[in-house]
Amino acid sequence: PGLQMPSTAQTATTVLCLMNMTTEEELRDDDEYEGILEDVREECSNYGQVLSVAAPRPVEGTLVPGLGKIFVEFAATDQCQRAQTALAGRKFANRVVVTSFFDLEKYRQKNFAAQ
Amino acid sequence: DGPPAKKRKRSRWGGEETRTVIPGMPTVIPPNMSEGQQKLYLIHLQVEDYTRRLRTDDLGIPINPADRSPSPEPVYSHDGKRLNVREVRVRKKLEDSRHSLIQEALKLNPTYKPPVDYRPPAQKFED
Repeated sequence: PGLQMPSTAQTATTVLCLMNMTTEEELRDDDEYEGILEDVREECSNYGQVLSVAAPRPVEGTLVPGLGKIFVEFAATDQCQRAQTALAGRKFANRVVVTSFFDLEKYRQKNFAAQ
Repeated sequence: DGPPAKKRKRSRWGGEETRTVIPGMPTVIPPNMSEGQQKLYLIHLQVEDYTRRLRTDDLGIPINPADRSPSPEPVYSHDGKRLNVREVRVRKKLEDSRHSLIQEALKLNPTYKPPVDYRPPAQKFED
């Protein structure tokens, strides 16, 4: 409720942004963090060639842009699209996975904030 | 003592059967939302998911007991009934999480309408 979705079609990119999958507590724990990235990389490899995975971690006393999101860079847009179709709405650690395409340039600059 | 039991690796990913469709709440969202819009949207979506799980008794308790988290010490009522069984603990956790999410949504957007079956946790009254 309370959200107007723009009707314009989305332009696919090679970077998939995965949301709502982790808690700050999990991101703070080194073992948990490694495990999460491993699970994401492994699952995403079923849909294409994963070039890189990134997930900002909490920094004490700082507002970290993109905190809680996991970014996956694929070799091609159709792979990224396939992963989005396969993963959106699935559960990860019992939480509903929400996805969006993300700008490759911003990703490369480690600029993880939304618009 | 034998060698330590081999730790079985279990993915955090749920299978295809866990795919969740919440009416009016897409899980593919446009890239041009602001950080604030995104945050509020994810809160709303989680509230809807927890509401559905509470309503349909979809508690997400693993079928295989080995996959479940360790149980706390049992607590019994005066007539010997166990109070803190897993179902009760999971429901309580879902309700608590939903409550704090609703509080957060209201803070970000005072016109937010919580789900109709939402009741704030009961206040404790002195006898």
